[in-house]
Amino acid sequence: MIAWLRRRGASAALCALAVFSMAAPVRAAAPTPLAAADVGALVAAPAKGSKVLALWSLDCAYCEENLAALRTYQRQHADVQLVYVATDPMAQRDALAQRLKDAKLDDVPARAYTDATPDRLNFMIDPTWGGETPRTLVIRADGSREAYSGALTPERVAKLLEQR
Amino acid sequence: MRAMLLLLAVSIQAAHAHDMAGMANEAPLGFDAAMDNTGHLWVVDTVGEHVRVRRSDDMGRDFALSTIVNPTGEPIYAEGENRPKIALGPKGELYVTWSQPRKAPWTGFVRFSRSLDGGAHFDAPKTVHTDTAEITHRFDSLAVDGKGNVIVAWIDKRDLEAATRAHKPYLGAATYYSWSTDSGTTFAPERKITDQSCECCRIALARAPDGSIDAFFRAIYGDNIRDHAYATLPIGGKVNVQRATFTQWHIEGCPHHGPSLAIDAAGTRHAVWFSAADGKPQITYGQLQPGKEPAHQAIVAGNGASHADLAVDGRHVWIAWHQMTANGLELMLRESNDGGTTFGEPRAIANTSGASGWPKLVLHDHRAFVAWNPGGQFRMVPTEALQ
Repeated sequence: MIAWLRRRGASAALCALAVFSMAAPVRAAAPTPLAAADVGALVAAPAKGSKVLALWSLDCAYCEENLAALRTYQRQHADVQLVYVATDPMAQRDALAQRLKDAKLDDVPARAYTDATPDRLNFMIDPTWGGETPRTLVIRADGSREAYSGALTPERVAKLLEQR
Repeated sequence: MRAMLLLLAVSIQAAHAHDMAGMANEAPLGFDAAMDNTGHLWVVDTVGEHVRVRRSDDMGRDFALSTIVNPTGEPIYAEGENRPKIALGPKGELYVTWSQPRKAPWTGFVRFSRSLDGGAHFDAPKTVHTDTAEITHRFDSLAVDGKGNVIVAWIDKRDLEAATRAHKPYLGAATYYSWSTDSGTTFAPERKITDQSCECCRIALARAPDGSIDAFFRAIYGDNIRDHAYATLPIGGKVNVQRATFTQWHIEGCPHHGPSLAIDAAGTRHAVWFSAADGKPQITYGQLQPGKEPAHQAIVAGNGASHADLAVDGRHVWIAWHQMTANGLELMLRESNDGGTTFGEPRAIANTSGASGWPKLVLHDHRAFVAWNPGGQFRMVPTEALQ
């Protein structure tokens, strides 16, 4: 998305990893890579309850409030799995981790795209999604899905997760 | 100790390999292309922190000239809706704009440079707007009007910042513009086009038959209904903004999906836009009638379709877009030979297993080509169907 951030992210990540190998400093949990081959498992129906994919990006000013609303709901509902999926590339993992840490959202499993074609991952995750963010995809144990584009309020989160 | 060193070496090697793999898709692919009136193709893109302008004399197969616009590098937004732009003046002037990220998230400055010697040299870049707050001034768009004036429009959050400080509600961002009547030597202090418009969608600019530049962009109506507005951008004087689409798409979010506009010699405003009202993503064609529903609306494409561009030449209208499939990205085309009343079936004119900057339709000698750069390899894709 941003040339300088990517370059900065890539070189910073190399340094950070090298340092980590030696000194293991405390740092925000970085997102793990999501490639095309991983999408099947990501969108697989959970054994019970619901899986919620919170799709977001660094360039989305509405996304953090959406991530926060979903996290709050998930903390109160043990049968809900929540995964943050950033559509930004893994080269920005430090920026992604920092953004989540600053928003106190770094205790939720996080992924970031690693594919030459982000639009392809968008399509594989949800073919009815045009790439707008935030996007929330709910996948239930029976395989049924609900999706919502835009920031969710706590009320909207409950409505989305509880509508059947 | 030896085992630890080995482990360290393996970790660094693994990290390096991972980054190398990641960097394979690092190069931002945003570009713009334009034909001059002597048949030369001009392409702008980025190389790291540098904006690059190239001239091709054979429709993009080779580049006879390649010039770095900003020898002193700077951060550049160079992808998706935030790509560098190029426009040509009546005397061969080359104008280039881009958005420069600042340190804080979502911030940026709109930058401008020009060449008055056919692309051999470019002036030192300058910031178009007078406002120097570290906020959003991004998603620049660039056009030259019939008198040779340079118009730059962008998305600007100064009014959102002011409202936030005053604890007043404000949705989205404002849209601003400026102009230069002296070939880019100076720009007029910026003016607001409208408040509460979308903060992440490109602004479409097109020249009307009277030579003026019109803007078509995503705006916000009521509670985050993100439709589109239309305005003629005067060189001085009041801007009249009217709602031009009525899809009723509600989204408190970032569509990252701006429209496209082309105006024919009779003044018909051909446009394409994206919306996902009722959870159905689609690209729609219509002829804009600001203030009321567009005429001749037609659904161009649905799931997986994105970033449409269009061009018009007489009664011939072309629409190109990206169609994602499970197997890769297809460059799609639909054509109308009756001024946009009806369109033929969609057909794929190129495909890639990788990514490309958004397609840009370019007209040359009454033919349409789609400028495209899958994997960073620029090409001009002819639109004619095989006979």
